[in-house]
Amino acid sequence: MLTRSIQEIRRNIHLYLLALPALIYLIVFAYVPMFGHLIAFKNFRPTEGLWGSEWVGFKHFYFFFLNDYWITVTWNTLYLNFLNIFFGTIFAIITAVFLNEIRFVLFKKISQSFIFLPFFLSWVVVAYMVFALLSTRDGLINNVLTQLGTDGVSWYASPQYWPAIITTIQVWKGVGAGAIIYLAAMSGISGEYYESARIDGANRLKQIWFITLPLLRPTVIMLTLLAVGGIFYGDFGLIYSIVGENALLFPTTDVIDTYVYRGLRSNFSSSAAIVLWQSCMGLICICTVNWMTRKLDKDSSLW
Amino acid sequence: MPYKSAFTTKRIAEDATISEKLFHLSMYVWVMLLSLICVIPFWLVVIGSFTAEGSLRSQGFSLFPQEISLNSYRFLLSGEQVFVSYKNTIIITVVGTFLSVLITSMMAYVMANRKIKYRGVLSFIVYFTMLFGPGLVGFYILVVNWLHLKDTLWAIILPGLFGPWNAFLMVSYFRTIPYEINEAATIDGASESYIFFRIYMPISKPVIATVGLFVSLRYWNEWFYAMLFVDKEELHPLQIMIRSLMSNIDVQRYVQGTDVNIVTNVPAMGVQLATVCVTIGPILLVYPYVQKYFVKGLTIGSIKG
Repeated sequence: MLTRSIQEIRRNIHLYLLALPALIYLIVFAYVPMFGHLIAFKNFRPTEGLWGSEWVGFKHFYFFFLNDYWITVTWNTLYLNFLNIFFGTIFAIITAVFLNEIRFVLFKKISQSFIFLPFFLSWVVVAYMVFALLSTRDGLINNVLTQLGTDGVSWYASPQYWPAIITTIQVWKGVGAGAIIYLAAMSGISGEYYESARIDGANRLKQIWFITLPLLRPTVIMLTLLAVGGIFYGDFGLIYSIVGENALLFPTTDVIDTYVYRGLRSNFSSSAAIVLWQSCMGLICICTVNWMTRKLDKDSSLW
Repeated sequence: MPYKSAFTTKRIAEDATISEKLFHLSMYVWVMLLSLICVIPFWLVVIGSFTAEGSLRSQGFSLFPQEISLNSYRFLLSGEQVFVSYKNTIIITVVGTFLSVLITSMMAYVMANRKIKYRGVLSFIVYFTMLFGPGLVGFYILVVNWLHLKDTLWAIILPGLFGPWNAFLMVSYFRTIPYEINEAATIDGASESYIFFRIYMPISKPVIATVGLFVSLRYWNEWFYAMLFVDKEELHPLQIMIRSLMSNIDVQRYVQGTDVNIVTNVPAMGVQLATVCVTIGPILLVYPYVQKYFVKGLTIGSIKG
């Protein structure tokens, strides 16, 4: 067994050398830091290092689960992701269907370019644009509201609006990319279906409803399941760059990832405990999702 | 390209009824509104950066400002920081993209090569990192305590250098290249690295361009690792410069350096807007030319998995 492995590596040594940089990289940057999960069971002190710190068992997990705040961050993570998956999918499908139906080529090309544009921005830039729109004193939206004679809203102090705001931002940034994926799926639909539907007297609405949408279903299911696999991971980039340290908004916007990040400043070990919990839940989620996709469609499962 | 045939599918609308006309109209309205919503924030920051500071202060952000001025740019470009940040962002993007494409494509080539018996093992090693991550804590300790990369540009370049998703994208592309090419080259006595760099790389230009553009966009927009690992102002990339300007920083000192002490009205808001514009400027400039590669990347990626 071992000699055969050595033989195989020797025979293709030049090929394995090509893979070596990536392998070393993965070991150093992906596998070695997994030992960091051990910190969850220790009282980590930077001076004593990972191995020197004292073992404390499940203490940090108790602390996390004793406090009700774990429910808040977990709920926010799941709820915000659910909203994004739901509205993101709907908007992407509607937009893709419409773009697909539009015959005016120049209009379609230009609008598709515009809709895809936010995809290229960093969350830092998006955060600035959101500030330009929502800032209480200077923001465009409040300026318009005051001109209309109503009072402006102090958005950054009103947590109740933020699930909607965050979802809007996510849809705004992602709808172009989503629409492109669905457009690609639609281009795979044979023209003959539409041909025969038209002969049977179906108008365009009916063609969309009875041909396009049903045939998009596998793609929708695949993409949704993939997204559900990551439902325990909050959109850190968006939330941290826009909400940041604004504690007024935490009740509706604080997700596991932002909570962990802030925890890093005070206590590595309790952060590590939450990260480990999140990683395990994430793994369970992905495995479940993969098992479900396998049942639905063997070829599109992840492994 | 498969996605193009969607555009050319011709279905002539016969005997359009009223409901169909309404549908037609709402279709155009929806797409037009969505396009507008996607572009307005861009207009807001671009026009804002050309607005006089006084106008910004009194009017707030506005789509049609009262007074146009180049002062924000004059102030921004008179200092060092924007050039330093530009330099850092360019270094990160160029070095990061080059190294990332290099090690990812080499690995993908091996994973796709039929000669290799353990390609399943290699794929699993890559795949597992997508399922179970090291988490932020372990990663932070690795970079800061073990590799001592804090306050270096490497701390921004190295994380995420190897993208599993990109690797699998390349694997599926390499698999479409006829294996006979590889065999013929081997018989002619070409070494493995010659086959890869001189034969496979040139015919794989489309996928390399696509992956390279995705990677360079990621590096251009990278801010998280910079925020985590870089404090020194001379190492700030543009994204962190924007963040710093938005925080309560002494704008004049940050933008123009400590020894400058001209008492002027510092256009604090205008400088933020101008920095945002010079950051997204290059993306907007190349956007018309590179858009198709991103479309292709998304399309292949989604069809694959």
